This record gives sequence, structure tokens and C-alpha cells, in this order.
Amino acid sequence: MEKYNQDDTFLARWISGELSTEELNEFKKSKDYALLTKINDASQKLESPKFDEQVQFQRLKSKVFNPPKQDKKVIKLVPNWAYAVAASVIITFALFYALTAESHFKTGFGEQLAVVLPDNSKAQLNSNSTIDFKSFNWKNNRELDLNGEAFFDVEKGKSFKVITEDGVVEVLGTEFNVIARDHYFEVRCQEGKVKVTSIAANEEIILLPGKAVRIINNKAERWEYNVNEPNWLLGESTFYNTPLSQVIIALENQFQINFDASKIDLSERFTGSFTHKNLKLALKTVMIPMDIFYSADSNNKIILENLND
Amino acid sequence: MNIETKSVCEENTYKLIFEAHSKSLFNFIYYKCGDIEQAEDVVQEAFIKLWNNCSNVIYEKAKSFLYTVARNLFLNEVAHKKIVLQHKLASAPDRTDETPEFLLEEQEFMIRLKKVIADLPEKQREVFLLSRIDKKKYSEISEMLNISVKAVEKRMSQALVTLRDQIGNI
Repeated sequence: MEKYNQDDTFLARWISGELSTEELNEFKKSKDYALLTKINDASQKLESPKFDEQVQFQRLKSKVFNPPKQDKKVIKLVPNWAYAVAASVIITFALFYALTAESHFKTGFGEQLAVVLPDNSKAQLNSNSTIDFKSFNWKNNRELDLNGEAFFDVEKGKSFKVITEDGVVEVLGTEFNVIARDHYFEVRCQEGKVKVTSIAANEEIILLPGKAVRIINNKAERWEYNVNEPNWLLGESTFYNTPLSQVIIALENQFQINFDASKIDLSERFTGSFTHKNLKLALKTVMIPMDIFYSADSNNKIILENLND
Repeated sequence: MNIETKSVCEENTYKLIFEAHSKSLFNFIYYKCGDIEQAEDVVQEAFIKLWNNCSNVIYEKAKSFLYTVARNLFLNEVAHKKIVLQHKLASAPDRTDETPEFLLEEQEFMIRLKKVIADLPEKQREVFLLSRIDKKKYSEISEMLNISVKAVEKRMSQALVTLRDQIGNI
């Protein structure tokens, strides 16, 4: 073995001329010396690719010096804290909305709508009615606002309140019907037990199944009805000794019609029912027993007149 | 005597640094990757970094800064090509005593050598070429590569052994 094969820096030192004379002389005798010298000589004739310093510096200049002040501070158009503020405002509003948002349901003329409340209680809206309630924390705060007529099937739980302009109906799991419209307030209890607080009559009334109450002229009027008789949920509105004014409103809401009732006495009472399916039949069943003549005028208004006059 | 430390942020100083080191830096990268454009880009990138950090880098450290940046940039680059070296157009003497056969043989040898160099492992190749083409001392190479002189010498010797073995095999 030649020395340069064992010493792993020997050749490097030979290239750089660091070998001692003895080492060099010995190396010159070896068989690889000629080839290695040839490699060394030839490799020094090689050159690397052209590198145009001028061009490269120009290229660099355009990148480095053109933006003249590289330490110019970048001021953000929108500072960071603004995002934080915006986010917290949004969160605040979102929370506020979530906590106070009211679900709103409304029916138009002739429409009915079944609303499932957050605790699976059901509210069925008759035509032209609205309910509003807050979904948030519904289980502990079962309150809703009603304007119009609705039938409630309430799941068991804490007190369930229907708040109307004229009074509050409060129950603990039951089925009942409420009408609260234009200062007319009527509650029918279908099942369970219902407590009605009338604002106008300043009275608390407890209703058992089949019992109903209405507030007229600031007085509570109680009556009984048959819980099995068809009600508006089945396509028929039933009335018991109800002021004609309410019956006419019910007709108007159901069929989207207008009455001119200026010539009749609206305080008369009506007992009976009308179907939702047929306007003519409904008019007949209400007006004929009441001795009222009805005719349509040019504006599609239905004029009501007493037959006796 | 210039005792005052030159600021790299001075345009003139910066230009001096470029003139002094850009070509070596370019070769250094080229010997690694064999891609002219990539090597040029790395040089640009390294000098841009130098400019952006000019207030943190003192003049004396600019060179090692450049090589460190270039090495690091190169770590991120992946593409490697075979390096292509040119035969120096030495101003050949008008007449030569050498026979045409000898010249032909010589030319063939150069072609073989270039191929064998291109096939060298990167670590051996860069040391060998920095030494033979750029005429860098081992100490300079060790600084560029951030390794010891001893390691440079070993790589150089290995390169020669590899070349010797390979050139016979072609």
C-alpha cells in the first residue's frame, strides 16, 4: 500500500504543496503519480460558467436600492386592535341577539300554522295571528306573546304562559285555545288545568276541561263547551254565545273578506259554527239564524243588513 | 489605514462586497447544484438578505454571512443538475511540438475528466473545484463550508482518489 492511500490528507497536502521533499520524492515513484498529476493539471484548465458581475449587480440594485428606504415602517391601514374591537362588538351583538332574539310566527288570511316550540309543545295558529317567543332558555321561561287565536298543546314542565294584551294564560301541561284579538279575550280549556288572569276584569279564573271563559266589557263570562265537538283545527269554527263582532272577525280572517257591519248590532250573540271550506255556506250558517241579509257591493265588501228593518 | 468600520449599508461598501464575493459565491453554489440560474438566484437572494440586515452585519463578517445565507438557502432548494464545466480557452501557442495524436488524446482526457468530476459526490466536488478552479486555500474553503480544514483536506484527498479510480474505468 502506498502511503497516500492510507493517509487521508496526503493527496490534499500534495496538491497544496505541503508535502516534505522526502514525501514528494517517494510519491513521485508511485504508479499513480503520473495519472494524478495529469488530473491535477487538467482540472486547473477547467473553468466555471460565466458570471456577469455587472448584469448581476444591476439586477440586485433594482431589487435592493429601488425601494429606497427599506426601513420605512409599514403602518397598517387597519390596526390590529381594531380587529379585536370588531370581533368583540360582533360577539356582543351576537350574544345579545341570541339572548333576546324573538322567534316570530305569523299567519295571514285563511292560513293556519303549526309551530313546535323548543320543548316540543305545540302551538297551532289560526288565521291572521302572530306569536313571538324567545328560544333562549325556553325550558325555564316558557312565555310567549300572542295576538290572534291559537291552540296550545303544552308538554309537562314549568309554567307555560301565553301573554296577550288583555291577559295572561298560565298552565302546567295541557291543551287549550286562546283568542286574544282587538280586546276580545277568550280561553277554552281542552285538557288539564288552565289559569287565566284577566287584566281588564282584574280576576284570576281557573278552567277545567270543557270550561271556557271570555272577557266582555271587563267582565268574565264563563260557559261550558263540548271538548269533542269540531273546532277550528278540524276546519270548523264554533261559537257559544259569542258577540257577533268576534264571529265577523273570525269570518274575515278565515276568508279574507271585508264586512260593512255598520247597519247591524254587533253586540248580539251567536251560537253555532261555520266551516272553513266554503264561504257561501259559512255566511249562510252564521247570517240566516241571526236574521241578517248579506249582499256584495262593488268593492267586494259584504254589506250586512237586518232583515227586520 | 481604515480603522473605522465600514458600514455595509453604504452603497459603495455594499458594491465592493459584491465585487469581491459574488463570483466566488456563485461558483460555490454552482459546484453544488450545477444550475446556473439557481446559482444566480441564490447569489441575489443572499445579497438581498445582506442588504436587509446591513445594520446588523459588520463589514468583516459580510463574507461569512453571505456564505451562511447561501448555504441555508441551498438547503431549501432541491433541484440538482449535473454541473457542466468549460474547458478554459487557454491562449494556445501558435505552434506546438505535440503530435496530433497527443492533442486528440489530451482532448479526450479532458472530456472524461469533466464527466468524472460531474459524477463526484457533492461534498468532494465542491472542495475539489473550489481548490482547483477558484484556487481557494483549504482554510478559505473550510470557512465557506463551515467545516474544519482537516475535513476539507480529507474531502480533497477523497476527491482525487475517486477521480483516479473513475477516470481509468471510462
